Amino acid sequence: MIRMLAVLLSLLSSALVAAPVVAQQEPVKIGLIQPLSGPVAASGNYIRMGAEIARDWINARGGVLGRQVQLLVEDNKSDPKEAATAAEKLIVRDKVPVIVGAWGSSMTLAAMPKLEEYGVPMVVETSSASTITRRGNPWIFRISPPSEMEALGLEKYLKDFGIKQADFLAVNTDWGRGAAAAFGDVLKKSGSSVGATEFMDQAATDMNAQITKIKSGSGDTLFLTTSVEQITLVLKQAQEQRLARKVITTGGSSAPSQLIKQAGPAADGTYHILFFLPWFPEAMPDAKLAKAFVEEWNKRGYPFDGLTEGFRGHDGVLTAVEGVRLAGKADPKAVQQALWKVDVMGLNGPIKFEKDGPAGKESGQSKPSIFIVQIKDGKIALPGFVAKK
Amino acid sequence: MRWLGLGALLAVTATAPFWVWNPYHLHTLIMAGIFAVLALSLNLLLGYTGQLSLGHAAFFGIGAYATALLTVKLEWSPWLGLLAAVALPAAAGFVIGRLALKLRGAYFVLLTISFAGVISLISVNWTELTNGPPGLPGVPALEVALPGLPALSLRSKAAYYYLVLTAVGLADLLCLGLMRSRVGRALVALRENETLAESVGIDGTHYLVLAAVISAGMAGFAGGLYAHYTRYVSPEVFLFSYTVTMVIMVVAGGKGTLAGPIAGAVIFTVLPEALRAVTSWQWQMLAYGAFLIAVLYFMPRGIVPTLRDLGRRP
Amino acid sequence: MDQLLQHLLNGVLLGATYSLLGIGLTLIFGLMNVVNFAHGEFYTLGAYAVFAALYGTGLSFFAAIPLAIAVGALAGATCERVLLRPLRGESIDTVMLVMIGVWIAMQNAELIGWGGVAKSVPAPFSTAPLVLGPVSVSPLRVFVFAVSILVILAAHLLLAHTRLGRAMRATFQDRETAALMGVRIERIHTITFAFGAGLAAAAGALLGPVFLLYPSMGDLASLKAFSVVILGGLGNFAGAALGGLVLGVAEELGAGYVSSGYRDAVGFAIIVTVLLLRPSGLFARAERVG
Repeated sequence: MIRMLAVLLSLLSSALVAAPVVAQQEPVKIGLIQPLSGPVAASGNYIRMGAEIARDWINARGGVLGRQVQLLVEDNKSDPKEAATAAEKLIVRDKVPVIVGAWGSSMTLAAMPKLEEYGVPMVVETSSASTITRRGNPWIFRISPPSEMEALGLEKYLKDFGIKQADFLAVNTDWGRGAAAAFGDVLKKSGSSVGATEFMDQAATDMNAQITKIKSGSGDTLFLTTSVEQITLVLKQAQEQRLARKVITTGGSSAPSQLIKQAGPAADGTYHILFFLPWFPEAMPDAKLAKAFVEEWNKRGYPFDGLTEGFRGHDGVLTAVEGVRLAGKADPKAVQQALWKVDVMGLNGPIKFEKDGPAGKESGQSKPSIFIVQIKDGKIALPGFVAKK
Repeated sequence: MRWLGLGALLAVTATAPFWVWNPYHLHTLIMAGIFAVLALSLNLLLGYTGQLSLGHAAFFGIGAYATALLTVKLEWSPWLGLLAAVALPAAAGFVIGRLALKLRGAYFVLLTISFAGVISLISVNWTELTNGPPGLPGVPALEVALPGLPALSLRSKAAYYYLVLTAVGLADLLCLGLMRSRVGRALVALRENETLAESVGIDGTHYLVLAAVISAGMAGFAGGLYAHYTRYVSPEVFLFSYTVTMVIMVVAGGKGTLAGPIAGAVIFTVLPEALRAVTSWQWQMLAYGAFLIAVLYFMPRGIVPTLRDLGRRP
Repeated sequence: MDQLLQHLLNGVLLGATYSLLGIGLTLIFGLMNVVNFAHGEFYTLGAYAVFAALYGTGLSFFAAIPLAIAVGALAGATCERVLLRPLRGESIDTVMLVMIGVWIAMQNAELIGWGGVAKSVPAPFSTAPLVLGPVSVSPLRVFVFAVSILVILAAHLLLAHTRLGRAMRATFQDRETAALMGVRIERIHTITFAFGAGLAAAAGALLGPVFLLYPSMGDLASLKAFSVVILGGLGNFAGAALGGLVLGVAEELGAGYVSSGYRDAVGFAIIVTVLLLRPSGLFARAERVG
């Protein structure tokens, strides 16, 4: 009796979910999976904001294929299981022809089997693990750089930095570990040596032990890979311990203007690898687009610090919609074929996919542009050697 | 009347893939089934011995990793992997049970939390073994290969649903059989009054260890099922939120009963998905928390026992 | 040697904050037997209260701290009165689950209210570090350390030498007798919970400027608090205070000399060792734990 009630209860709730969505054949639906709650909620929300700006601009220009674009936003709660479920819901229930997501590499990896199961492409906007494009999943199209590509982008500046021995302090996730490994390889190839490689838990707030250890070594440069909150804490604690090193942050999540506000003088002199420069839109490949994006972002009252990540949402949606346009219809398989033909200018730079991974099942990988800035006297500046090139 | 109800229930769940037309809903039911096995395993410890384990996600995760590592790195058959998914966590459960020895109550809870914490850190840091944060993608699907017939891959949702349903049924029967046996009676005696039970010769530690081993093995089995369904295992399986979810399912469903954890698993797996459909992402978790508080406030003994009492009232 | 000294200093400073977190929880968990998973949320509440006071009402940092403690205590009292009192007598895990619900609700309310972007609280101290020979430390952390010690001492005095403190200890030692002696049991429960929550809020208020404020900042704090409580022995106030320091130093040395990735494992390893060898805590007299 009770079991029957239990099952009925559950069936009832299933029915709630099954309630048919009002048939809206009109808009083209683009799925967006991001961490909107949990420890990295800020980043996920910035990307959502950037995606919404792209959607509004596209709709203002008439949409795509004569139809308006609708963004369906799902929260992956920083949990791979949720990312996979969100992908399934978007594909099966909402019938999206393309998805943008899913921020963290493990979230993206978890969603990938679903993409293959149903045959729906996904534009990867942030994840950095190299395995994502090497697994032989032809439904993946990544516009963010894997750590190896990012490290290679630094290669041409290595002589200007003059690094003899570098230490690494990275967040203990695949992003941090991948960056430490990739940059370490590039440094070793160009003749520098690698000192200590320390890690910090994603939620850690006290990194004094790691800093003390690094300080006792003989490195001259510290590579820092983590989110802006932890960078702030590391810089403040490094200042407390008088760690006098060159600091280079990687990964593009350093939000330097937020650093200046929250770390103050501790952030002075630090370098940052970024993929979008909201302070120097004129230095971006498409200056007009960059300027317009920054203005629109500010007009909506979004936090300025979010621009260094929000652009990813814009470029992701831009790419996805372009795929739909080239396909001529909102059909996932057609969009997947069309994505190979995409050749647009995003906020970061040109977006065009090359084959990556095992033959016959390649994923798409674009070659993003990499930029470096420095914090000098409380302001963001282009380092001298960068401005010259 | 009871048998009619049970029969109807069986008919409904057995034919689900035929009338649950939406694969997304079937996916939800499959996840609910996996969590039902997990909840039953936790219930074995919590409901029948009274000891709360807040590290059960560790057994779940060890099971998932065991089968994932064996099938991906050593290319074992997934069925052997599932076997390992039961055996390895069971061994861990044995260790925990024996280590805990005389620990009860809050002390036992904290031991289990610490155990889970250490295992979680190992999965992230011991990259040579577990591949670290990127996890293990490409876990193969289960296949049924009977001699003479072509291999039937259990990739399709309907097939996997039946596998999970069977697992839930087996777990349920195992718990039922255990409870009706001498072991079960001993466990209940220990839960009600340990000193008294020991005075009549029931060895508390022996039975606690037994319960821990079976409970851990069952949780590991759920982990194995999870690994071969989602085909991706990463350190996030050790997230504390999994343990929290399990505990919610058992306690809110009704601990100490057999239907409670299953009902809890179904309700609390379907609920977040239902919320996903009706509220925007900002309010989902808040609504979830509020619902949980409300359930516990009005039905502190759990949903199933409360409904059962209501049913009994003349 | 210099490195060791710096590590020890780091550990002691960190440990004081762990102590502050632990003493509040040892009252709630140790005395009231409530597995308070929302402890970290009262910590977070204290931090955000300071933020709100500084930016909303323009209070000074030093005035904001007692305000934050009051906010935390009030929230704790409300929680106890509304949720825990009706459920008194229910099993420990039902109550635990309610606190989990409170944890989820509070954290997501904060996410909605303050947003996920980290906020910083400016501290009225210079950021230039104080150099003491081979080691350096920021003035802010010295302040936090000093205030933590003061708060711990004040709490200890309240518990050990006031009537209220005696009433609290009596209630949890032997409820019926205490009631017979005229102690208002229900009120004591509310006050004890509020006291514990207030201490957690104090930790949050003090640590806000040291770290950053974001909705999930309490999760790690909860976990550390539980470690400290076990180390010191459930309900053992002095034990928790000392246990916090032990944990802080152990973590620092572990992260510095063993492995930074396994840093948190130190805390867990300590718990497991203590539980197996001396379950009533490092500083308690032997007692029944089963």
